[in-house]
Amino acid sequence: MADSETPLVVRDLHKSFKDVSVLNGVSLEAHEGDVITLIGASGSGKSTFLRCMNLLEVPDAGELIVHGEHVAFKQNKKTREPASWKQVERIRSRLAMVFQGFNLWAHMSLIGNVIEAPVHVLGVPKKQARERGMALLERVGLADRADYFPAQLSGGQQQRGAIARALAVDPEVMLFDEPTSALDPELVGDVLAVMRELADEGRTMVVVTHEMDFARDVSSQVIYLHEGRVEETGAPAEVLSRPDSPRLRQFLAPRF
Amino acid sequence: MLDFQGYGPRLLEGAWLTAELALASLAAALVIGLVVASAKSSRSLVAKSVATFYTTIIRGVPDLVMMMLLFYGGQIGINMATDALNAHLGTDWFINVNAFAAGVVTLGVIYGAYMSETFRGAFLAVDAGQMEAARAYGMSGWLAFRRIRFPLMMRHALPGINNNWLVLLKSTALVSIIGLSDMVYVADQATKATHQPFLFMVPVGLGYLAITAVSELVVLGLKRRFDTGFSQAT
Ligand SMILES: Nc1ncnc2c1ncn2[C@@H]1O[C@H](COP(=O)(O)OP(=O)(O)OP(=O)(O)O)[C@@H](O)[C@H]1O
Ligand SMILES: [Mg+2]
Repeated sequence: MADSETPLVVRDLHKSFKDVSVLNGVSLEAHEGDVITLIGASGSGKSTFLRCMNLLEVPDAGELIVHGEHVAFKQNKKTREPASWKQVERIRSRLAMVFQGFNLWAHMSLIGNVIEAPVHVLGVPKKQARERGMALLERVGLADRADYFPAQLSGGQQQRGAIARALAVDPEVMLFDEPTSALDPELVGDVLAVMRELADEGRTMVVVTHEMDFARDVSSQVIYLHEGRVEETGAPAEVLSRPDSPRLRQFLAPRF
Repeated sequence: MLDFQGYGPRLLEGAWLTAELALASLAAALVIGLVVASAKSSRSLVAKSVATFYTTIIRGVPDLVMMMLLFYGGQIGINMATDALNAHLGTDWFINVNAFAAGVVTLGVIYGAYMSETFRGAFLAVDAGQMEAARAYGMSGWLAFRRIRFPLMMRHALPGINNNWLVLLKSTALVSIIGLSDMVYVADQATKATHQPFLFMVPVGLGYLAITAVSELVVLGLKRRFDTGFSQAT
């Protein structure tokens, strides 16, 4: 059950763009140390769901509770918006996102990227942020690239750097949106290895992915989305090996 | 021999005024340009319409006409306002439009319109993922602007800003018609008195070139600054 210690609770989320409804009541509960993978066909709403969690998209209806703190919304005529952007900023700084396209800030060195949010959003002293940032770059195997700019790094290095940037805010939950989809096949392994380590050390993560091996080996829960609904969910061993839903069976079929 | 028939000191003062006026107007134009560019890309229909109306007017009317309109029109507007106040309060106020301030406002308003187009294009040239990441890490609007959007945008805006600046600098010569003693005004007076146009107009031309040369150096430095992360080879 969810309580005030639960890192992330999402209840009955709805979201439409114009007249197209993309999410039709999806829920999720991420407890400490959970790794939840979201799978589903293209267009099923995985990214939208993830982006609603840190309010890059504002859900039309539904609840969002981060470590016991309810996100407050105010209802306008047609749309809903957060009641307090201050609250949104605070919550975002506790849910770090890793993007498909890395989105490292191009005008900053790698270490600059890593210390940016700690220093300017969280107010950590620069020296302290730098020390910790260097340790994180060490962890993802990029200590010798600290002063490189994103354009000077391979996709895999950029994504590992982006993971270090996410770790630097010591997030409650890490959100990954297809972190390996934009990578050359030979670079995927390094990034997945880092993510496995994070899972092993008990990081709470929500991961949109097409990497079924990762979903099977690492996640504590798999959610299969179809047309903005949770079509099937459960432990990976069940959901991925003995799917009930014919749709999920079909989705997984080419991979069997 | 080169004491410019006694006009030397006044010419120097004029050159200084030109530089001051150009820099102050540049600052005004940059601020107006940023605000208007933001208005144009905002979701508010009113802000968008006002901004578009403003740039359309400015770009369609000659600078000289605009300047006289703002200078004399501004004086008349202020007179009417003070008259109304005086009638109301029984006072006797009169505000004289300061020619320097009028020059800065006019040039700022005119070149703000051009700058806004430059900035708008530059904003659009920045990859949306960069601002998305800024928001995702909890940056407020202002922080994200200052740390992410502005430095990334400047790389694209710099050539346009430089062009506008060079035109603005030359437009400062127009302020002599509203009574400011910039270097063109002084040289014109001196020429009329001495009938030696080359003695005065050539140094004035060189004066503009000198300002331009210095500004090219500054632009070069800025270019290096805002190219950080992009020019480095992989
Ligand atoms: N900003 C937006 N405006 C309009 N429609 C959108 C927007 N974002 C997403 N959509 C639509 O919502 C639907 C779900 O998109 P979403 O990106 O969440 O899917 P996804 O499951 O992540 O797909 P993929 O696997 O291709 O990334 C799609 O039909 C998409 O076109
Ligand atoms: Mg997606």
